[in-house]
Amino acid sequence: MRKIKSGDEFVFQIVMNGILALVLALMILPLWRVFILSVTPFKYIDSSFGLFVNPLRWTSEAYAQFLSHPSFLHAFRNSLIIMFGGLAINLFMTVPMAYALSVRSLPGRRALNFVAMVPYLFNPGLIPSYLVVTGLGLQDNLLAVMIPGAIGVANMFIMRNFFMEIPMDFMEAARIDGASELFILFRVVLPLSVPIMLTIGLFYAVGHWNEFFTPILYLNDANLQPLPVLLRNILMGLNTNEYVEYDTFSQVSIQSLKAASIFITMLPMMMVYPWIQKHFVKGSLAGGIKG
Amino acid sequence: MGQSAMIQTSGTGKPRRLHRGPGRALRTHGAFYLMLFIPLVYFAIFKYGPLVNAQIAFKDFMALDGVWGSPWVGLKNFGTFFSSIYFWELLRNTLGLSLGKLVLGLPLAVLLAIALNESSLRRWKHFAQTVAYLPHFLSWVVMYGVLLLLLSPDEGLLNEIAKALGGKETNFLQDPTWYPIVVILSDIWKETGWSAIIYLAAMTGIDTGLYEAAEVEGATRVQRIVHITLPGIRDVVITIALLRLGTILDAGFHQIFMTYSVPVYSTGDIIDTWVYRQGILDFQFGLATAVGLFKGLIGLGLVWTFNRIARRYADAGLF
Amino acid sequence: MKRKIPATLVALALCLATALSAGAQTKGLVDVELWALQAVTEAGPPPADWVGYQIIRDKLGINLKLVLQPSSFTDQDTKISVSAASNSLPDLFGVNRDMLMKIARQGLVAPVDNLLPLMPIRTRTHYSDAGRNRLVTLQGKMYGLPDPGAMDRVEGVVIRKDWLDKLGLPVPKTLDDLYKVAQAFTTKDPDGNGKDDTYGFGAFFESSGLSSAGFGRRFDYILGAFGVPGVWNFESAAKFQFNFRDPAFRDAVEFIKKVNAEKIIDPSWSAPNKDEFRARWKQGKFGIMWEQFAALATKANYKDFDANFPNGEWIAINPPTGPKGYSSNGLDIAQARIYAVSQKAVKAGKGPAIAKLLEWMATDEGYYLCGFGVEGVNYKKDAKGFITMDGISPDNAYTAKAMQPLTQLRNMVYINNDIELAVRYPTYKSANGKLMDPLAFWKFFKNSPYTEATGAGFIDPPTNVNDFKRFYEENLLKFALGQTELNDKTWGDFVKGMDALGAKDIEKTAKAKLVDAGLL
Repeated sequence: MRKIKSGDEFVFQIVMNGILALVLALMILPLWRVFILSVTPFKYIDSSFGLFVNPLRWTSEAYAQFLSHPSFLHAFRNSLIIMFGGLAINLFMTVPMAYALSVRSLPGRRALNFVAMVPYLFNPGLIPSYLVVTGLGLQDNLLAVMIPGAIGVANMFIMRNFFMEIPMDFMEAARIDGASELFILFRVVLPLSVPIMLTIGLFYAVGHWNEFFTPILYLNDANLQPLPVLLRNILMGLNTNEYVEYDTFSQVSIQSLKAASIFITMLPMMMVYPWIQKHFVKGSLAGGIKG
Repeated sequence: MGQSAMIQTSGTGKPRRLHRGPGRALRTHGAFYLMLFIPLVYFAIFKYGPLVNAQIAFKDFMALDGVWGSPWVGLKNFGTFFSSIYFWELLRNTLGLSLGKLVLGLPLAVLLAIALNESSLRRWKHFAQTVAYLPHFLSWVVMYGVLLLLLSPDEGLLNEIAKALGGKETNFLQDPTWYPIVVILSDIWKETGWSAIIYLAAMTGIDTGLYEAAEVEGATRVQRIVHITLPGIRDVVITIALLRLGTILDAGFHQIFMTYSVPVYSTGDIIDTWVYRQGILDFQFGLATAVGLFKGLIGLGLVWTFNRIARRYADAGLF
Repeated sequence: MKRKIPATLVALALCLATALSAGAQTKGLVDVELWALQAVTEAGPPPADWVGYQIIRDKLGINLKLVLQPSSFTDQDTKISVSAASNSLPDLFGVNRDMLMKIARQGLVAPVDNLLPLMPIRTRTHYSDAGRNRLVTLQGKMYGLPDPGAMDRVEGVVIRKDWLDKLGLPVPKTLDDLYKVAQAFTTKDPDGNGKDDTYGFGAFFESSGLSSAGFGRRFDYILGAFGVPGVWNFESAAKFQFNFRDPAFRDAVEFIKKVNAEKIIDPSWSAPNKDEFRARWKQGKFGIMWEQFAALATKANYKDFDANFPNGEWIAINPPTGPKGYSSNGLDIAQARIYAVSQKAVKAGKGPAIAKLLEWMATDEGYYLCGFGVEGVNYKKDAKGFITMDGISPDNAYTAKAMQPLTQLRNMVYINNDIELAVRYPTYKSANGKLMDPLAFWKFFKNSPYTEATGAGFIDPPTNVNDFKRFYEENLLKFALGQTELNDKTWGDFVKGMDALGAKDIEKTAKAKLVDAGLL
């Protein structure tokens, strides 16, 4: 930690941390409100921007309705499979492409970049994609959820960018020593790219974790449904409650349920992220130059 | 040695050639083509496959006949879209909202990343960072509820404050003048923290030696930010800006869909919400695909133009 | 070409699979894939050892694959849409009417007229209502099987009786009465909590499709008081036109505008949010609304209101009569839960098997098993044959959470007979000891004036229906909200705009079609 050396530095830190404080205040109030919603019994929900509900009144009923659902663990497991499996596929496909396209001397590079970019701009919509996936017979297969999004073009371009910023001397040195390109990728480039790998990995993982649309389309088998679909069905099911003669699913207000479902979804990310943050250490490239 | 000095290109901007024999060059590049092989197969099937099916934009799609058997109707689907009395309004709303989000949102995300990068209070900034990105996880379903709490005409927080100060209430969410502002600001609120992550990652990759050298030479912190941090993330910013320009006509369907209502259609209805309503009122897949192609064309035009500028002035770009 | 290669491989794979499965399909078992409309989707389908599967397999020779559709209607529509577009609809599936018509026009569903004789019991109990059958008829043939799952006339006007009593007001009968009551509800603190936080009217913007365009269904009782509920005037062929041409329609808009300007209506009325609307009446924000009987009065839905206001009471009232004596609770459009059979299934010869399955569900065995579970375990029958839970442990009752997977097909067997209604909408005691009877509301609504409007579902939307609907609604709401001034000129411009979008042509075509179909 840098010692405060001068008044200039002091003022600077005030400004920087002041910005963070402002951001924190703006972000946390609505977030807190949503959290409060998720633990407020129906009796006490009102329309004001109430931030303070007596903690003694808090109820975990909304969370209980989701977590005690017989399919919850199963759906959770499916989500984990989709997330980790999908992430593996993502990285396996995105990293080589991003790296290859980061090589400035690659012939045809410009054309390849263009080829990669075009489908990103032209989204042909639902039906054309659906026809391809079902044409391959991937219905009721978790791969239908993991594979079509294997390479996110934006993620790939950003990763490519980061690879391009790695000083060529690293790779050159390895080449002089006779290393193969694959070796260079795995033993030289990737260790230097920990922040970007974690960031893009995080983007992909979150995408998979929140995925509900493709499962609804392609997964008929109830056993394969991931968590977001279950949560969505529970919430939407309450909307069609005109004919609900079974009163087991509406113990708390629907606003609480919506809020609780958000936090349930958020929780794994909130637990994983601090671990990622540790690796966002400044100057991770610096050491390598001298070495 | 500055970082920019390392990624040196020859004066004309052409890549350096490796000074090895042709066999070695081919073998070297061959490895890269091998790396590209499976991804390109994936692209062919899952990215270009659907584009081939996108020909239904020019057809009167009949499910029984499939993509290949349906009859051609030329530009009829495009015509339906262009001849809507709302076409120009939709275009204006979509572009306006998207550009608003980009022009305001991107610099704010960078600013937040700078603050996070520069703050020396470790635990505090980790906490701030986590809280900042959490709104990204709120669905617009839930966000609508939060917006109501803030903006609803009779009980919303802002209106309570306005009334207390002697003003009158405004129905922010249903007033066509206010709605676009609400859309842009709430999106920025929700996404700035998450967008800042990538810039922060980029900043951690900047050689700390540069900062030390600059400090030795007497540069203030602000000068260090302006002359080292910002140029250091310049390429990432350009890449992201170009990517967002390419999808400029995607103005955020879910957000608008969850928060709009008929009274604000005139400033809030975007291309995607119009297409959505068209779709539930009619089985028009050709139209939806045609609009998608139209959006892509505009996006392509924008990316091409700005990519050239980026290459010329900044030696950066998507392709 | 790249696309054809995978198709060829898939074709080869299919041939192989068929060859292999031919061996598995011994004993003449027919595979039927059924996409059932959600009962309680998230509870999951019946377990693999459900006795129903066994009976279906052994008695009917059918290997049933059951898929529960997603809870949200939009998700259901999307799923059916994409399956239809890729010509891969399942054998038997639940679908709403608009979607059915769309895919029927594409030739993707089979006419079912020739299946009806194969299931006589079911046809008698489910498919003998001419109104419902007409819903699924296209060019003289029935393309869907309309189950009586949805009851009719389930909505009506209700008012806070305790507020009327507190303010000493009589039950309002005319629109004028109702207006005065709304004013009182807003200004005179009817809930007695000393705060200025109540409104008279409450509603939300509920419009879907052309026939409910405009202010939406929640305002039809107000429009009805002016004689112009809904979008069309179906009174007779001579009078058939868009309601907006009727001068009374403008009066209705003026009324809504007045009510909004005076703030005697809950301001969230112009947003399309049903959850908000329901939350707000349960929080006691307003005292006059148009609501569905089960959403109002079943124990599950009422209990939150009951907890907040133990002495609160809603009563059903007749829709208000307007200046010329008209009144209407809204449009009476025949409703049905529709199941369709894909053209593919019929071509594969599965028609008779599907008929057998549906017929079984209409027999006593299938009816009780799918609707209530196993007798003696999940329910019991009392002396009169009504369903009762006496002697059944709460964990095993068919309404218990754990037992719900067993009755996921209930919506395919229910026929709204008295037995069902009595058990689905039981009476109960509210917090202050009152006896609550949801069905009483329904009975009241059934006897209140409604406007017959079945023709609405038969009018084909024009190609520019999206823009047409938006122009219509946007202008109406802007008038009502005071964002656009309402005078002769602006109203005239509005009508001209509607004509410019083709209103006259739409009227002409619709009229011809309805006269032809004998509906006018």
